[in-house]
Amino acid sequence: MTPEIEITGLSKVFGQGAAAFRALTDIDLTVGTGEFFTLLGPSGCGKTTLLRMIAGFEAPTTGSLRINGDEVAGKGPNARPVNTVFQNYALFPHMTVAQNIGFGLKMLGRPRAEVDTTVAEMLRLVRMEAMAGRKPSEISGGQQQRVALARALAPRPRVLLLDEPLSALDLKLRKEMQSELKRLQSETGITFVFVTHDQEEALTMSDRIAVMSAGRILQLGTPHDIYHAPADRFVADFIGDTNFLTLPVIAVSGARATLTLPGGQTAEAILPDGVAPTPGQSVTAILRPEQAILTEPPGATLTATVRSAVFFGTDTHLHLTLGDGQPFVLRRQNTGDLPVPEPGSIVGLTLGPGVLRVVRD
Amino acid sequence: MARAPDPDRDRHGWKWLLSAPALVVLVLAASGPLLIVAVYSFLSPGNMGGVAWEPSLEGWFKVFFSRDIFDPENVSWNTANLTVFWRTVWLSIQTTLICAVLGFPTAWFIATRPPHRRALWLFLITIPFWTNLLIRTFAIQELIRGTGMLNTVLLALHVIDEPLQLLYSNFAILLGMAYVFLPLMVLPLYAAMDKLDFRLVEAGYDLYASRWRVLWHVILPLVKPGFVAGSILVFIPSIGAYVTPRVLGGGRTMMLGNLIALQFGQGRNWPLGAALAMLLLILVTVALVVYLRAVNAEDEEKRHG
Repeated sequence: MTPEIEITGLSKVFGQGAAAFRALTDIDLTVGTGEFFTLLGPSGCGKTTLLRMIAGFEAPTTGSLRINGDEVAGKGPNARPVNTVFQNYALFPHMTVAQNIGFGLKMLGRPRAEVDTTVAEMLRLVRMEAMAGRKPSEISGGQQQRVALARALAPRPRVLLLDEPLSALDLKLRKEMQSELKRLQSETGITFVFVTHDQEEALTMSDRIAVMSAGRILQLGTPHDIYHAPADRFVADFIGDTNFLTLPVIAVSGARATLTLPGGQTAEAILPDGVAPTPGQSVTAILRPEQAILTEPPGATLTATVRSAVFFGTDTHLHLTLGDGQPFVLRRQNTGDLPVPEPGSIVGLTLGPGVLRVVRD
Repeated sequence: MARAPDPDRDRHGWKWLLSAPALVVLVLAASGPLLIVAVYSFLSPGNMGGVAWEPSLEGWFKVFFSRDIFDPENVSWNTANLTVFWRTVWLSIQTTLICAVLGFPTAWFIATRPPHRRALWLFLITIPFWTNLLIRTFAIQELIRGTGMLNTVLLALHVIDEPLQLLYSNFAILLGMAYVFLPLMVLPLYAAMDKLDFRLVEAGYDLYASRWRVLWHVILPLVKPGFVAGSILVFIPSIGAYVTPRVLGGGRTMMLGNLIALQFGQGRNWPLGAALAMLLLILVTVALVVYLRAVNAEDEEKRHG
């Protein structure tokens, strides 16, 4: 099967000479048909530039971009089977909701009857039938969002590009639209390329994620891979909360290393591909706050002093100091009305097997 | 317990008096002179100019009709005046259209420059305003007259065999007015384009519109307020233009402004001049109302269509 989007060796440089700014460097990327693909990264990482190049608003400096097997590098946005949901929706203010949704089909020269049928269908799909005759200024932000989605979906593009479409909505509406987006994607079967800086949004919605920073893709994988096996320190830090521990290596065997924990006990850590430390060297290991289990100090893998405890309802965050002074945050699930440890008390931690992981700095 | 002061009371109090200075200026500077002109149009002409305080409809009558000198009962349409009216309206419409066609790309060019450069381009657009209108108009005359620059160059290049007679024609007036009033179209158009959200243009391209269709379906409707304001700003002074037709149209190709001036000057018929001036006012008002109604009706139609 042909992949929906194939990007090879794509680079983008804005400006020239001394003022030149390299927005994207050597991007290689393949998005499968019907996939929910997310470009995730902090602002300025180049994710929006990449999306705009897929849409056709920016021309690549080098590299090739294929959509459904066709090279599109020289084609304008109106010649690509791709539609965009813009960050601030960009609905045409002088047209009604229905006219906005029908615009793409009208420009494609579809017969009026077909346009009307599709518009009605789209209005139903995004549950906006009652608003068909309103102007964009007369509907709420969440409703505008739905109209923008319907407008981009109406011409049945091969790929739907979404540029941080949920960032302008409040939290409750955002959650609602997240599931709405997933529903629309599974109902239409269209490939979605979603841009966001919100890691939670990326984890919950995507089939695969490309984590970007400074114009490069740092890691490409499923949400599970990216959370549990981050490629480097940046990814580990950007996705979820992480404890970074600097630990000395005792022994290395294959893809595993034995590290000394503060307090003297040892633990096995997984090594990423291409990282082979020598015994005696110190490495950075990561441990997610929920991956350590709170126990009594005797028999624990690690002991720590409680600095403070923050109660969140579903869980309690314990800010700890390990034996050698390194800080550590532990998240304890509140499975019942558990006592909250007093600041200054000593607690024990046990690590599950295979949770400790060395990351590239 | 004392009642809280009623906020509405203040609103209905004597606060309107604060606008008294503005009201005085409006009455004295706008309504007053207009009222005098309106009254004069219903009086008789004085012998040495001015008016004689005898009520008469002759001024208004002469706007449209003329009497035979030897047989005052023989009344016919005043074709000379009617020609001037028609020429005035038609030249003004053409001027507005020319300014719109030339002004749109100019304003678009400025609006799409980097923000720090736009001020410079706008400044350049306004530079002609720094020179006296009369001088600029004479400069155009110098360009297009029989032995002027344009003819000299064209003759030297053997494009033409004899000088083109451009001066003292409708074309000359049109050229002069379009040149003088172009900035009045560019500035409001620029203001409208400056507010234009260019993501809407991108959205148009994204939804399969070609460049022309983006222009037609997205850009033009959104900058329409600029066109409306620009058209009004160009059309109204065009209708009342005096200097340009005077210098470039000569004595024969008159516009309404020149006709009015003539009545207050050599014609020594102030009531006729006043009636013509009132007619000009009525023309402008009617044109404005019809235009704005048409624009609004189109909006309404689009909304419900």
